[in-house]
Amino acid sequence: MFQTSMSQYDTPILRVNGKIIGNTVDSLRHEMKAQIEQGGGRLILDLTNVPLLDSAALGAIIATLQALKKSDGRLVILNPQEAVQNVLAVTRLDTVLEIYQDEADAVSAFN
Amino acid sequence: MAQTILAVDDDLDILDVLEMSLDSDGFNVITASDGLDAIEKAKSHVPDLILLDLMMPKMDGFEVIDNLRTDSQTRAIPVIMLTARSQVHEKLQGLDAGADDYVTKPFDLKELTARIKAVLGRTEPAKYINPLIGAMGDWFSETGVEQLAAHLKTAATIQQRLLPQAPPRLTGFDIDGILRSSTSVSGDFYDFIPLDDGSLSLVIADVRGKGIPAALLMVMIRTALRLVCRQESSPAAVIKSINDLLVIDTEPDLFATMVYGILDPKSLTFTYSNAGHCHPLHLTDAKAHKKRIFGVRDGTLKIHQLSTGGMVAGSFDFAEFENETVQLAVGDTILFYTDGITEAERDTDNAFYGEERLQDAIRSSRDMSAAMICKTIEDDLMHFIGKKQQTDDLTLVVVKATTDVEED
Repeated sequence: MFQTSMSQYDTPILRVNGKIIGNTVDSLRHEMKAQIEQGGGRLILDLTNVPLLDSAALGAIIATLQALKKSDGRLVILNPQEAVQNVLAVTRLDTVLEIYQDEADAVSAFN
Repeated sequence: MAQTILAVDDDLDILDVLEMSLDSDGFNVITASDGLDAIEKAKSHVPDLILLDLMMPKMDGFEVIDNLRTDSQTRAIPVIMLTARSQVHEKLQGLDAGADDYVTKPFDLKELTARIKAVLGRTEPAKYINPLIGAMGDWFSETGVEQLAAHLKTAATIQQRLLPQAPPRLTGFDIDGILRSSTSVSGDFYDFIPLDDGSLSLVIADVRGKGIPAALLMVMIRTALRLVCRQESSPAAVIKSINDLLVIDTEPDLFATMVYGILDPKSLTFTYSNAGHCHPLHLTDAKAHKKRIFGVRDGTLKIHQLSTGGMVAGSFDFAEFENETVQLAVGDTILFYTDGITEAERDTDNAFYGEERLQDAIRSSRDMSAAMICKTIEDDLMHFIGKKQQTDDLTLVVVKATTDVEED
């Protein structure tokens, strides 16, 4: 469900495959935490292959964003699909999250 | 705070000595002179430690320990046995029964104090952990599961009572709502609050997550809303208050989406603010007047989404919210819903019920009463998901402006 890689500016990319709902949310929280530790407070969360996320998943993303803001870290969301985009728009979380459609843009945001 | 020790011995002289000695060491001392008295006082005082004589009339020390270990309240209290005999099997029997240490009579008071302090030091962390483990152990036992189920049932009943028991009465409006929980307790809720000026405030909310944690937060938000809505007249200010309260009291990953608004029957307006919640659908018949005059149905329906407001409530202290006032006309319908409706999945292909299907459902049922619209959409949704189990709470609230609908 999770794949990780390191981008050229030493930012970990966490790619999620599948719906982030129910118990999956805990795994996401753990994965994000581990990658953020590796990346010194930086993370790109790739949602290209996430058809849906539930409110608990949004909660996990919000908590991560807040924690990173406090510690001068940075979270970038990559390529959310239509259903996820809608959720982010309705909840207005798109106004506080840094979202890129293109991977190259997301990566160079950390340059 | 001084620690309390229950000293149990049938020899009153020994009790006196123990009481004086421990008292001068800074402990609170309570005493009991037989087993039954000991159990009673252990349960009523829940001491930090029990000094227990083994050989007593009525009930001996072993029975006392047995009894204490079966009660979740006294289960974790450490026990030091006082025994006149020094037979090994006696001590082993006591330790087997669950005593933490033993002291042989006649005992040296300094040694006794040292042992008490050692046992208390060793068992201090357990004092906090054991009741939890005890409670969890209770849950997993057969009676525990029954008890938990009973508690959940009670919680569900309490929560049901917090929902509107009857549709609100507001001149010129027909209003109703339904809530279908996916678990025994729910994170969704809706509420109608009559205000002093004759208007009605209305709220629909979806608390993050499901089950008991969501239900607790739901109760908290509902209570706060009922208080705040009488202090603030602007819906945006009401939501901002709830937001700030949640930011202070909960972690950022706990939040709620909600729409709070005020229906004014005098001006026929709805003023609302939407905190990251699914946009309510406002159906208006663009040529309603023409229709009424000429009796023509031309089906010019407009759907306006009530999206003004701000972010989800409870995560960000900097969140700001805005109001919008919508002018209503007779014949208009507003449908409020939670994402459990649009994100419900069909059994055959996991397709979402979705907003389009919901729009179709409200279009075709809009001439019915508010209660029937709710029922019709619920039935349509249940039919759609088929054999699939409902995985999220579903809530619908329908408001219809009906002032002179009887003339039709």
